[in-house]
Amino acid sequence: MKTSRAEQAINYVILILATLFAVFPIITIALTALGPQLGVVEPGPHWHNVVDAWQQGRFGESLWRSLVVAAVVVPTALILSTLAGYAFGTMRFRGSEVLFYLFLFGLMVPAEAIIVPLFYDLRTLNLTDTLVAVAMPQVAQSIAFGTYWMRTQFRALPPNLVEAAAIDGCGSFSTLRRILVPPLRPALATVGVLMFMWTWNEFLIPLVMSPTGQWRTAPLGLSLFKGQYTADGALMAAAGLIIAAPIVVMFLILQRYFINGMLEGAAKE
Amino acid sequence: MRRRRLIATGIASALALGALAACAPGDSGGAQPTNGPASSGEVTTDIASLGDVELTVWDQEVRGSQNDALESLNKAFQDKYPNVTIKRVKQSNDDLQQQLQLALSGDDVPDVAQVNNARGDMGQYVAAGQLVDLEPYAKAYGWSDRFSDSVLAKVRYSSDGKTFGEGNLYGLPQTGEIVGLFYSKSKLEALGAELPATWTDYFAILDKAKAAGEQPMVLGNIEKWPAFHVFGPLQANYVPADDIVKLGMGNAGADWMAQGNVDAMTQFAKWGTEGYFGSSPNGTDYDPAWAEFGKGTGVFLPAGSWVGADLEAIMGDDLGFMAPPAGLDGQLATTGGTGIPFAIPAKAKNPDVAAAYLDFITTDEAMKIIADNGGFPVNNAAELAPASGVNKEIYEAFDKVSNEGTLLPYLDYATPSFADTAGQGFQEALGGQRSPEEVLQAFQDDYGRFVGE
Amino acid sequence: MTKQGRERPSAVVRGRMTPYLYLLPALLVYGTFLLFPVVRTAQFSLYDWSGFGPATFVGLDNYAGLVGDRRFADAIGHSLYLIIFYSLIPLAAGLVLAAILRRGQVKGMGFFRVLIFMPQVIALVVVAVAWRQIYTPGGTLNQILGWFGIDSDRGWLGEPDTALSAVGVIGFWVQFGLVMLLLLAGMGRIPNELYEAARLDGANPVAEFFAVTLPAVRGEIATALVLTIIAALKTFDLVYMTTSGGPGSATTVPSYEVYNRAFQLKQVGSASAVAIVLTLIVFTINVFVSRIGEERRALR
Repeated sequence: MKTSRAEQAINYVILILATLFAVFPIITIALTALGPQLGVVEPGPHWHNVVDAWQQGRFGESLWRSLVVAAVVVPTALILSTLAGYAFGTMRFRGSEVLFYLFLFGLMVPAEAIIVPLFYDLRTLNLTDTLVAVAMPQVAQSIAFGTYWMRTQFRALPPNLVEAAAIDGCGSFSTLRRILVPPLRPALATVGVLMFMWTWNEFLIPLVMSPTGQWRTAPLGLSLFKGQYTADGALMAAAGLIIAAPIVVMFLILQRYFINGMLEGAAKE
Repeated sequence: MRRRRLIATGIASALALGALAACAPGDSGGAQPTNGPASSGEVTTDIASLGDVELTVWDQEVRGSQNDALESLNKAFQDKYPNVTIKRVKQSNDDLQQQLQLALSGDDVPDVAQVNNARGDMGQYVAAGQLVDLEPYAKAYGWSDRFSDSVLAKVRYSSDGKTFGEGNLYGLPQTGEIVGLFYSKSKLEALGAELPATWTDYFAILDKAKAAGEQPMVLGNIEKWPAFHVFGPLQANYVPADDIVKLGMGNAGADWMAQGNVDAMTQFAKWGTEGYFGSSPNGTDYDPAWAEFGKGTGVFLPAGSWVGADLEAIMGDDLGFMAPPAGLDGQLATTGGTGIPFAIPAKAKNPDVAAAYLDFITTDEAMKIIADNGGFPVNNAAELAPASGVNKEIYEAFDKVSNEGTLLPYLDYATPSFADTAGQGFQEALGGQRSPEEVLQAFQDDYGRFVGE
Repeated sequence: MTKQGRERPSAVVRGRMTPYLYLLPALLVYGTFLLFPVVRTAQFSLYDWSGFGPATFVGLDNYAGLVGDRRFADAIGHSLYLIIFYSLIPLAAGLVLAAILRRGQVKGMGFFRVLIFMPQVIALVVVAVAWRQIYTPGGTLNQILGWFGIDSDRGWLGEPDTALSAVGVIGFWVQFGLVMLLLLAGMGRIPNELYEAARLDGANPVAEFFAVTLPAVRGEIATALVLTIIAALKTFDLVYMTTSGGPGSATTVPSYEVYNRAFQLKQVGSASAVAIVLTLIVFTINVFVSRIGEERRALR
């Protein structure tokens, strides 16, 4: 594929402008993070802010907890929504539309609304302050989107894939596993990154569901820099960077799947 | 299509039935008004005899001096009582108050928690029977000798939560707060102005500053609550202190539409619309605003004692603090009072140890530790005042106002919704979106509805 | 054979019950931890309740209270306005960017992709801090305007006529990388041969975009719209952390009302009523949007 010089130039200009727009608030954050803490007058950059934020925010423990929560939420939600999306995307059955809208409905519910009943009901079951209380509501939220997304992806696959599998004598599960999942790897990677990100940044659920702080995840550490009246912006920004770093790494690792993988899948067909 | 709808209706009604069968909200774990273990008179102050205890403390003292002071007090408490282990959970005040609302009704509550004294928080928990009445402990430990009556009034409610300012004791504060005027000495000097002795003087200096091209005052009000600390002291110039106390504590007998309040709000709105706080107080953040003041923007910063230590680190000797000039009745009156009090939830597992902890963190020694760490102790301010610096002026102002004048309550104490109503109203007055009368009418509606009940 | 085939759920599924078995695990988790709490919220909305202590059954009073509530009506209006920023503009920008990344021979594609997606990644608490610095009277935005000779000391989040749009721009900033990523996933499925064929036919980039790229990603467009419209209507964190609904009530949105009523005013019953109404509004709009997406697909 070739593109003309002029077009190339325009493309780069657009991309660079978009990138600058995306990045400049982040640079603001980075500059704030390296700026002086409240009451500090020496000129920066203050690299030790990151160390201070790490210690005061107790990120050693909370990042680990975040990782555990994400390790439960993302794979569980991915598997369950792939199974559900497979049914919605490739099978005909009674009530499929109603059930599908029932899942779609979950996307619409504001978390602020369900958090109160969820807390009381889980407390009645003695589940607050457990991994279940922090992770499962997030699995449910991720399933709502994941099912919706995977249904679209299964539908966009060429229908002859399933027919070919039938001719080869595959059962429904081996069709899913051997024939359909490989070309959907990029789509799975995309939704996996999104689920990871949402879980990682989730604030309200871990806060409310873990009153004694046993399952406080990393973003709650930001709260430790906010006093009743005053907050330390530099430490908060430094903490923000610490919290964001694992997602960036995750994204960098998975990003090669996004396009290259897709082309492979399409070419094999 | 029709069949689908049927199925949908079927599912919906099945779910609804399931829900109705479940218990109504508030029943499960809802604490009935309880008198707490204290009312039976069996309080003990002999902590060492209680065996191994884990004391859970939820606080919001996350920043600097207060955190340091509490850490060292916690350590000293555990040294004194080796059988007690403190489990401290700290978080921002917003997060803490939100969590308390849900957690206090359960069985798994902390032994000690910082509960905001406002009617919307402490008042409602008292009414629901979720906090221990501390009176028996106050007698056992002699807290009424240690604290002044005016300080304790801010943590007193009637046991039904209806009256605020009298009744039983439900919390114990550790720190003091006073709202006043920070100023830059060099800027005042450059303007050829003395410290204002009256509000008229103060207004004149502001005009002079404005004419000289200086920003007269600094306010960052994007968060909505900072304006309370500007309006509160100003109000005292137009309204008798007694009326402000009634309005602020949500007790009957005052009127937001009274002429004094109209004059105060008119002056406040004028400051906002005519640029006395710079171009856009509603579009400016609180923290950067006072940091900017530290770097040389503005002559006065109307704000609370809590920014003193941080500002002094930036400004050094140039920083000064004064209580606002005397109010309408010739007495000093300004917003202030206590830091967020420590309370004991009704279902706390170790109320006796919790009370001993409250006692321990408010002793004279504790006050000294707070002062040494650069904080602002609620008791003994006069004796503990440092020899120089802005904290000396803050301590003295607090001592003077609380002994000779009136520490006015924060206006958001008044009703459960007043923080919301007034936060919105102050912004609208500052931005000129609504007239002072319209804003005050909203205040009066809120207050009137509450005291009318 | 055809008759039998039609009754089967799919070519590889014989059993009528099999599709439900695939749905079951997801439905169980989803039903327990999301649907059931929603039903409970609906139940709470019929009570006057502070979130603790005793509750009084009040029937539909909480809903009746919303009918004449100006602030609630404004909140809904604000969230509809935010759709422009959260959804429509990011879709346009995302389409252009994804198309460039997909078909143009862009060096350093991964680099651009990562950086443009970055706004999604950072916790909103921190994002809010950064944007508040940008919008403050002495902030970056006014400085940039100054370079172009526009003298401004406006506090963009503090003026009633710009505050909501200013929040909207933050929403756009957060969403456009996500939209781009979703669309890229769809465009990646387009075989290179299609582009080559279009070019052999002499199509220019714009014609190629409409002939090849756009039709292939209708499903992803619908997904992106659904997702971003939901984000717009459900906006909470951003408003909570930038303006608290101010100045006055100029930027309040329904989710902020839910939170404010539940946790600040301690009116959990009324908050639940707002939540239920909000959920129904979002649901209606999105069923509509996703139907459009599917009808177009059927035409193809």
